[in-house]
Amino acid sequence: MTKELKDESGKRVHSYIPELCEQLRQKKIGRRDFLYTATMLGVSAGAAYAMAGKIMGQGAVVPKAAAQGKGGNLRCGMRLQEMTDPATFDWVPKSNVARQITEYLVRTGADNITRPYLAESWEASDDLKTWTFKLRKGVKWSNGDDFGADDVVYNFERWTDPATGSSNIGLFAAMVDTIDTGKKDDNGKAIMEKRMTSGAVEKIDDHTVRLNLNSAVLSIPENLYNYPTAIVHRRFSEEGGDLSKNPVGTGPYRLAKFAVGEEAVLVKRDPREYWGEEVSLDQIRYIDFGDDASAPVAALASNQVDMVYELQVSQIDVIKRIPGMVLHQAVTAQTAVARMQVDQEPFTDRKVRQAVQACIDHDSLLELAYRGFGAPAEDHHVSPIHPEYFKLPEQKQDIAKAKALLAEAGHPNGIQLKIDLNANVAWEIAAAQAMREMWLKAGIDVQLNVLPGAQFWGIWDKTPFGLTSWTHRPLGVMVMNLAYRSGVPWNESHYDSAEFDAALDDASGTLDVNERRKKMEKVQSILRGDAVISQTLWRSVFNAAHERVKNYQTHPTFYHQLDKVRIA
Amino acid sequence: MLVFVVRRLGTMVLTMVVVSILLFLVLEINVEGVAVKVLGPYSSEEQRNLWLDRNGYFDPLHERYVRWLGNALVGDFGDSVRFRVPVSQVLWPRLGNTGILALATMMVVIPLSLGLGVLAGMREGSKLDRSISITSIVTTSVPEFASAVLISAVFVFWLGILPGTSSMTDGFSIVQLILPVMVLVLYDFGYVTRMTRASMAEVMTTHYIRTAVLKGLPYKTVIVRHALRNALIAPFTVIMLQINWLLSGVIVVEFFFAYKGFGALLLEASLNQDIFLIEACAMVAVFVAVGTQMLADVGYTYLNPRIRFA
Repeated sequence: MTKELKDESGKRVHSYIPELCEQLRQKKIGRRDFLYTATMLGVSAGAAYAMAGKIMGQGAVVPKAAAQGKGGNLRCGMRLQEMTDPATFDWVPKSNVARQITEYLVRTGADNITRPYLAESWEASDDLKTWTFKLRKGVKWSNGDDFGADDVVYNFERWTDPATGSSNIGLFAAMVDTIDTGKKDDNGKAIMEKRMTSGAVEKIDDHTVRLNLNSAVLSIPENLYNYPTAIVHRRFSEEGGDLSKNPVGTGPYRLAKFAVGEEAVLVKRDPREYWGEEVSLDQIRYIDFGDDASAPVAALASNQVDMVYELQVSQIDVIKRIPGMVLHQAVTAQTAVARMQVDQEPFTDRKVRQAVQACIDHDSLLELAYRGFGAPAEDHHVSPIHPEYFKLPEQKQDIAKAKALLAEAGHPNGIQLKIDLNANVAWEIAAAQAMREMWLKAGIDVQLNVLPGAQFWGIWDKTPFGLTSWTHRPLGVMVMNLAYRSGVPWNESHYDSAEFDAALDDASGTLDVNERRKKMEKVQSILRGDAVISQTLWRSVFNAAHERVKNYQTHPTFYHQLDKVRIA
Repeated sequence: MLVFVVRRLGTMVLTMVVVSILLFLVLEINVEGVAVKVLGPYSSEEQRNLWLDRNGYFDPLHERYVRWLGNALVGDFGDSVRFRVPVSQVLWPRLGNTGILALATMMVVIPLSLGLGVLAGMREGSKLDRSISITSIVTTSVPEFASAVLISAVFVFWLGILPGTSSMTDGFSIVQLILPVMVLVLYDFGYVTRMTRASMAEVMTTHYIRTAVLKGLPYKTVIVRHALRNALIAPFTVIMLQINWLLSGVIVVEFFFAYKGFGALLLEASLNQDIFLIEACAMVAVFVAVGTQMLADVGYTYLNPRIRFA
C-alpha cells in the first residue's frame, strides 16, 4: 500500500501530484499546465506556484495585488437585463451584478488558475469520482444565517433538477441519471427524464460536502465557477426565487438599487459582517446605456463612467486617442459558432453541414471580421489555449468539395438558408457577412436575419441555424460537456452522438494533460467530422478603463472580480 | 368659446376611442400572438393556453376590449415583458424625462426661431434675411443622427467639455441636457424660423401695415403692435406640432445619448416585442398628438377671432 502523501502543512495531497512534479521537471508539461492540474486537485494556488518555482529554479513568485487604498466608487457601463435566478443566467453581465452579492465555491482568476472561495479546500479521489469540499467556516449570509453544507446541497439539487432549467445540469452530467418515464411521445419514442442520481451530493457535516459522481470528471472545480453556479441561500426558491427582489448573499456588497435597462447600485456591506478581506470599493454602479455600442465609449470619454464592460474591436483606435484611458486585453477561448440543428431540415443531412463547413477560409475570416486579433478557428470548439487542445490536421477552404457534397445531398443547384444573428455584436455580423460571401461561392445562399439582442437571446437555442456567442471556459472539456453532449440544455445543435459522448467521458476523466490531449483528438475529430458547427474565430477581448481604476484585470470571460480594485 | 372647447374635447375623445379600438384589434385580436409575445416564441402550447385562460383571453372580444380600456384608463396597462414591472412604472418617468427634454428644447427653439424669423421677414430680401434663411435650410437638412455624431465628436471627443451621454443616473443634470438639446434645436429651429419668416413677410405686405407706417407710427410699434400678433398665427400651429414631434419622435437623439426618455422606451419596447408596453406607448403618443392639436386649435381662435365661430 502506498504511503499517504502529505504536503508541508500536513494536508493530504492527491496521489497524482508527485508525477505531475516529475512531468514538469522533465518539461513534458508546461508551467501553466502544472498550475492548472495541481490547483484543480486541491493544492492551494500559493503552494502550486511555490512547487513550480522550486522545480523550475525560480523563487516562489505568487502574483500579488499592489497595496490597497480604501474607498472609491466605481462606475461601469454595462447592459442590465432582469436578474431573477443565478442558476438560469444565460448572459455574463447578469452574473456581474449578482457576483458582487453572491459568491461561488471556487474562483478562477484572470490567470486561469482556480482558487478556494466559499470552499476552503477540496480533494479528489484518485479515480476523480469522489470530490470532497471543505467549506469555509464563519461565513454569514446577509440575512444573518450561517452559511453551510445545507446551502451547497440545496444548490446542487436545484441545478440538477430539470424543472429549474439551469444549464448547470450539463456541467454536472456525472451527477445525473436519465430515466425512462414509461411514457411515449407522439412518435412513439420513449420520453426520458433527467434526475439527480441519489446520493450524488452528500452532506458529511455542517461544513463538508461530498460529490459522488457516476463517472470521472476533472473539471469539477472549474465548473463551480461557471457563471450560473453562484451559491444562493437554502431558502432561495421559498423566498420568491428572485435575486433582484430578495438579494440575499454571502458577498461583500448588497444591492441598493436595481432597475432593468437603467442602473444597478451595489453598496459595501459592513466589513465586520463579511468573512473575507475587506474590499476597497465603497460602491459599484452599473449603468445601462442601451443598445448603442458607441454610447458607453462616449460616456467613458466624458468621464461619466470609469470603465466599460466590453469594447468592440472597431473601437480600439478611439480609446487609444483619448488621454488617460487604459486598454485592457485578454486572450481568450471566446468564439461564435454558426451551429446547425442536426434534427432540422436541411441539416439532417450531414453532407449539407459538411458543405457549409468546407466553404470557410478561417485565416481570412479572422482578418475580415476581427482585424486579426485572435486565432483562426478549426470547427471543433477547442481552443489552442486550452491545456488539452490537440492539433488536428488543418481543414482548408474547399469550394469544389462543398459543391460536390451539396450535389450528393440532392442540392445540385445550390441551397437557400437563413441564419439568425444578434444585432448587438458588430464583429459577429461582420463575420456572418464574410461567411456569406464564402458560402455563396459554393451556391449556398444564406440570408442574414439580424435580430435585436433581447429577441435573439429568446431564440438562440431554438432556431435551426444561428450564430451563437460562446464565452471562454478554462478547459476544453467544459465546453464540450455544456454544448455538445447529448440532451444537455445548452446543446443548441441537438447533436446526439453516443460515440462522441463516450469519447468525451473518456477525456473528461483523464487527469494527465498529455494523455487527455491524446484523447481529445477523438473528441475533436468526431465533432468536426459531424460538422455540427462552422466556427468563426477565436477572439481576443478588450475593454477599457480610466487610469485611476487600479488593480483591474480583464478576466477572459469578463467576470468582474472587483475586490482588489480601487479608485486612485 | 365654451361650446367650441367642449366640441373639440368631444372630437378628441372620439379620436382616442377609435384609435384604441384599432390598436386593440391590431395587437390583440390574435390571442395566440399575445401569448407568444409574452411567453416567448418557443413556449409550449400548454403554457400559452394556461396563460391565456388565466388572463381572460378566451372571453368575447368586446368584453376583453372594455376591460382593457377600463384598465388603461386607470393607468393599468399590464406588466412589461422586458422590464419585469408594471408598465406604468416605466412609462410615466420616461415620459417625464422626455417632457423635460422637450421643454428645454422649446425654451431655446421658440425665442430663437421667432426672433430670427421676425428679423428675416421684416425686411424680405435683405442680407440678414438671406443669411438667416440659408442657415436655417442648411441646419434643417442635416439629419439628427449625423449632427449628433458631429456634435459629440467636437464637444465630447475633441474639446472634452461636455458629457457624452445623458442617462442622468446621478439625478437630474442640466449639463447632460446640453448636447441632446443642441442636436434637437439645430434640427428644428430652421423649420420654425422659415415658417415665421414667411408669415411675417406676408403680413408686412398688407395694407394695414402700410397704413400704420404712413400715419407715422414708430417702426418698432408697427412691428410689435400690428405685425407680430398677426404674423404669429401660422408659427403657433407649427410650434404645437413640434411638441408632438418632441414627445414621440426624438427616438434617434434619445438612443444616441442614452437618454432615458419616451422615444428610447418606444424603440426598446418594439425591439423586444414588449406588447403591453407598445400598447401603452402608442396610446400615450396618440393622446399627445390629439391633445396638442386641440391646444393648437383653441390657441388659434384666441389669436385670431375670425376663426372662432367657423
